Amino acid sequence: MSILKKLLPLDIASGMKLTGKYFGRNFLQANRSKKHIHITVEYPETPISIAPRFRGRLQMLRDEQGEIKCVCCLACEKICPTQVITISKGKKEGRKTPFPTRYDFEMERCIFCEFCVESCGFDSIILNHQFELAAYNREDFSIGMEGQFQDMFRVSPVGQHSISSTKNPDSPDYT
Amino acid sequence: MNALFITIGQNLFFVFGLLACAGAAAMVLSKSAVHSVLSFLFSMIMVAACFLCLSAEFLGMAQLLIYAGGIVVLFLFVVMLVELTKYKEKSLFALQTKWSIPLILVAMATFAYTMKSNLFNAPASVALTLPPDLVQGLSVSAQNAQSVSRGLFAGFLLPLEILSVILLVSLVGALVLAKSERVA
Amino acid sequence: MMTPVQQVVMAIIQITVLVSIILLIVPLMTFAERKVIGYIQVRLGATRQAGGIRGFAAGINKLSWAMGRIPILSFFRGLPVFAADGLKLLLKEDIVPDRADRFVFVIAPVICMIPAFATFAVICFYPGTLFTFPTTFPIIGGLPFTGFLTDINVGLLYIMAVGSIGVYGIVLGGWASNSKYPLLGGLRSAAQIISYEIPLSLSLLVAVVLSGTLNFRELSLYLAGVPMVTAAGEIVQMPLIAAIPLFFGFFFYITCGFAETNRVPFDLAEAETELVSGFHTEYSGMKFAWFMLAEYANMMAVSAIAAGFFLGGHYLLPFGLQRFVPDSIPFLAQPSLLFFFGKVFFLLFTFLWVRATLPRYRYDQLMSVGWKWLIPVTLVNLVIAATIRLIF
Repeated sequence: MSILKKLLPLDIASGMKLTGKYFGRNFLQANRSKKHIHITVEYPETPISIAPRFRGRLQMLRDEQGEIKCVCCLACEKICPTQVITISKGKKEGRKTPFPTRYDFEMERCIFCEFCVESCGFDSIILNHQFELAAYNREDFSIGMEGQFQDMFRVSPVGQHSISSTKNPDSPDYT
Repeated sequence: MNALFITIGQNLFFVFGLLACAGAAAMVLSKSAVHSVLSFLFSMIMVAACFLCLSAEFLGMAQLLIYAGGIVVLFLFVVMLVELTKYKEKSLFALQTKWSIPLILVAMATFAYTMKSNLFNAPASVALTLPPDLVQGLSVSAQNAQSVSRGLFAGFLLPLEILSVILLVSLVGALVLAKSERVA
Repeated sequence: MMTPVQQVVMAIIQITVLVSIILLIVPLMTFAERKVIGYIQVRLGATRQAGGIRGFAAGINKLSWAMGRIPILSFFRGLPVFAADGLKLLLKEDIVPDRADRFVFVIAPVICMIPAFATFAVICFYPGTLFTFPTTFPIIGGLPFTGFLTDINVGLLYIMAVGSIGVYGIVLGGWASNSKYPLLGGLRSAAQIISYEIPLSLSLLVAVVLSGTLNFRELSLYLAGVPMVTAAGEIVQMPLIAAIPLFFGFFFYITCGFAETNRVPFDLAEAETELVSGFHTEYSGMKFAWFMLAEYANMMAVSAIAAGFFLGGHYLLPFGLQRFVPDSIPFLAQPSLLFFFGKVFFLLFTFLWVRATLPRYRYDQLMSVGWKWLIPVTLVNLVIAATIRLIF
């Protein structure tokens, strides 16, 4: 009996049955079913659902009046393990709290640990959902409050097709 | 145009024969052993083509299957694995030159005589054909494989079996050689 | 009777048609491979040839994604992949490694490809005349266009002989690359193909023993189970019980065919986890494309042989069960090109299906499957077939 079991390729048959079932289901139903039964998407055209706690690039936030929320407490600069944040304190007319004149962030050394966001007492910075972080020049990874390629308030232009970061209502930079 | 094609068809045998000879010469003369094996393969394929030109399809295919497909692969296998460069300086093969030259001359004379008497003279009076009782129900020109197998298994069964004994002897001999080497 | 000129012109036309069909199916196979494996792995497969996100097609895609459907264009937008593949291989730089054996390196893909295409010379796609040329044609007017190139009486031997030459391309390509991994891949492949040629021949011998002929057309007609007129003029029909060795022989043959064409699960020659990519590691550009062409053409040849011998050839039902289809049914009882190509395409799909299902064998497992299991069972199968031939 055992030799018969060895001769008959039953395991192969059951494996072929499984893959054949998947092929038939995807081939016949892929274009008809309301819900997507496949696990990949056509990326640039299609929104990708990103987990809410996904840690993308560092981004500064403004409040309802358009004022920068950051008050230069330097908590993020102190806790940063790779020391990629540099803040210069300054004053601004009509504002009681300190105002950051410079907020420099060097993304090429950032490890995206989110310690800065957790240490911030004023909810003034977040890690957004942008994952397209490529750039053509090394200088473009040093991000300040003003910049030609990208700055701390907007997502980078490489991510303009990332529907998740601009069109997704769950995203913090939803426009 | 038709006559030209007929002439070409009749003389293809000589073309393939010359190519086979060229392959054999390249096998002897080439420096690299793998090139030698390649030339041997070419020569074997051309011999098969010669058989096809003589409308001996079964023989041609057997030639391809056994020599080109089986034996030359083993040659290639051995030649690829054995490093032949170390024998270059020892002039290992030069020892046989003085023996081989007269032997080659004798062989050439024999072949030349055979070819002269068969190819360029009248054909042999008694051809090697199947006995008429074996050919019954067969059209020999159309059913090549069947007639060869009838000849082998009905007409010449004893020589065939003796040949198989030779193969068995060589097989057992190879086993013995391999075994003794491992023990020692 | 055709004159020599007519024969030559006819042969050239038939060869051109056949080679164009092969060269059309082979790139489509590479596309189908991406798609089929994609669907099996719950993916979409190839959907584009470059990342275009603007334009008409992208607009339709965005619209259908917004409607919650997979865009219909996803099925076809990947189709230019096969043209792009060919173009890429044509334009790539042709590298010959330093200190490689240049002559052997160049000739190895050719040795690999010629037998793969030459196999199709004896394969019978349709056992008769497909159509007749109108008499207005200059040289070949009024001549039949047959569904087979040649009808030689040693067709099966020809297939096996030519198929056994293809291994030289792989071995020599591996050796000439002057590199470790290709050499190992070539040696593995040679040992594998020589080992699996034995059960392959034994499983094909079942068909030969049952029918008593080596002619591809007669073999496929006889094994389909329909009454056939032999060259000697008698009418023969396969006994029904012969379907048993034929059924098992099909599975043995297709297993050995996977090994002969170096496909998964027997692709030890190009095991990328161990040998980078085996014998064609150093090849690039068009030479690499020739190796790929040879592999896919070999797959087609194996499929055509399996379809012709075991799956009933040009008739509907496999394993000689065609006798149960009464002659009165108009289409199903007749031989058709459609049935043959349907079987060939199903077997080609099986190649991809198995590739997506089974993992690669280890080398010792491969050898033990070949020598310890396949050769004994094919021998037993052959004995059964010979007994049936003797009794019935």
